[in-house]
Amino acid sequence: MSNRFRSKTALLLISGLAVAAPLSMLVAQDDHAHGEGIYKVRHDGYHKLGDAFKTLRDETGGRSPNVAAIKEAAQVVSDTSVHQYDWFPAGSGPKAGVKTRAKAEIWSKPEDFAAAQKLFADQAKKLHAAANSGDVAAVKAQFGETGKACKNCHDNFRAPEDKK
Amino acid sequence: MSTPANHVQIWDSATRLVHWLMVVLVATSWWTAENGELEYHRYSGYALLGLLVFRLYWGFAGSSTARFAEFVRGPRAIWAYLKQLPSRVSDHSISTPGHNPLGALSVLALLALMIGQVTLGLFAVDVDGIESGPLSHMVSFETGRACAELHETLFDVLLVFIGLHIAAVLFYLIYKRDNLIAAMIHGRRRVPHDRSTAPSFASLPRFVIGVALAGVVVWIVARGGNIL
Repeated sequence: MSNRFRSKTALLLISGLAVAAPLSMLVAQDDHAHGEGIYKVRHDGYHKLGDAFKTLRDETGGRSPNVAAIKEAAQVVSDTSVHQYDWFPAGSGPKAGVKTRAKAEIWSKPEDFAAAQKLFADQAKKLHAAANSGDVAAVKAQFGETGKACKNCHDNFRAPEDKK
Repeated sequence: MSTPANHVQIWDSATRLVHWLMVVLVATSWWTAENGELEYHRYSGYALLGLLVFRLYWGFAGSSTARFAEFVRGPRAIWAYLKQLPSRVSDHSISTPGHNPLGALSVLALLALMIGQVTLGLFAVDVDGIESGPLSHMVSFETGRACAELHETLFDVLLVFIGLHIAAVLFYLIYKRDNLIAAMIHGRRRVPHDRSTAPSFASLPRFVIGVALAGVVVWIVARGGNIL
């Protein structure tokens, strides 16, 4: 009886390992190889922005919002919305050997892109103002509007995620 | 020589319903993720979570053919089963009327993968930090991103195992002339007269408890882990 039980346990362990081993290798390969120079500045900048957005979402969605953390995150969003104007110089588009989801349309339709950037900057300014007022409900509402500005630009100027 | 056979009910309706709802929801989860419908993807994930909670509960408290203790077998039984696999004789003379010893591994693997997949989804955060799983506030942006990446990769692993599962079922249908798909639809399977060990089915109250349990777990998770 106990023998049978032991072999069952061993079998479960082996099947578990068979599934887990290839996965652990996948965890090891991260997604931080994003090139040099402006590509890296851009990637890291948007990474920080994503982090700030998560903070805003978490803090405005929970029952005990941390207003200081909301203000800090809104500051990051506001700063990023200004910095992003400098993140797409000519020649920093998709090319061989660089991992970027920036689409060529950024440079072929500069007016449309500038308008999309401005929409984000305008919404980010409002988000910042809402955060500084300390009104969590207002931040939550403006978070949604700012998110739409993000999505607007991503839909038009960011390529879909490539399948690995 | 074939023994005279009876059609015996082997799968209860709960097990069959859970099986086909999983098929629908895995497909829905895939489609909504591919098309950026993250809100519906979340709902699909909640539904799958509920099904998984119920199926685990049913594996301990459900009808006999759904219970892990009844169908999960040791390596010796699996080996014995493997040895006769090339025979075109239908299964029921050598194994229990429900899952065979090899199929049991498939059940465990698919359940484990789906549990892993749903769990990763609960903590996943999208690249913009906007869309996220209901428990993602418990982890950092980096961890949430890692969960999302793994969530994407693990789906491919799940697809491989689903493919294997379908291939096995087709093997039974074509090679062994044993229609397991129909059995999972109407619940009945041909079992020889002399081996009519009828499975015992779980009662309605047990089913209700399982549904309630699944509902409570999904409710808590959807609220971000807040119980009150």
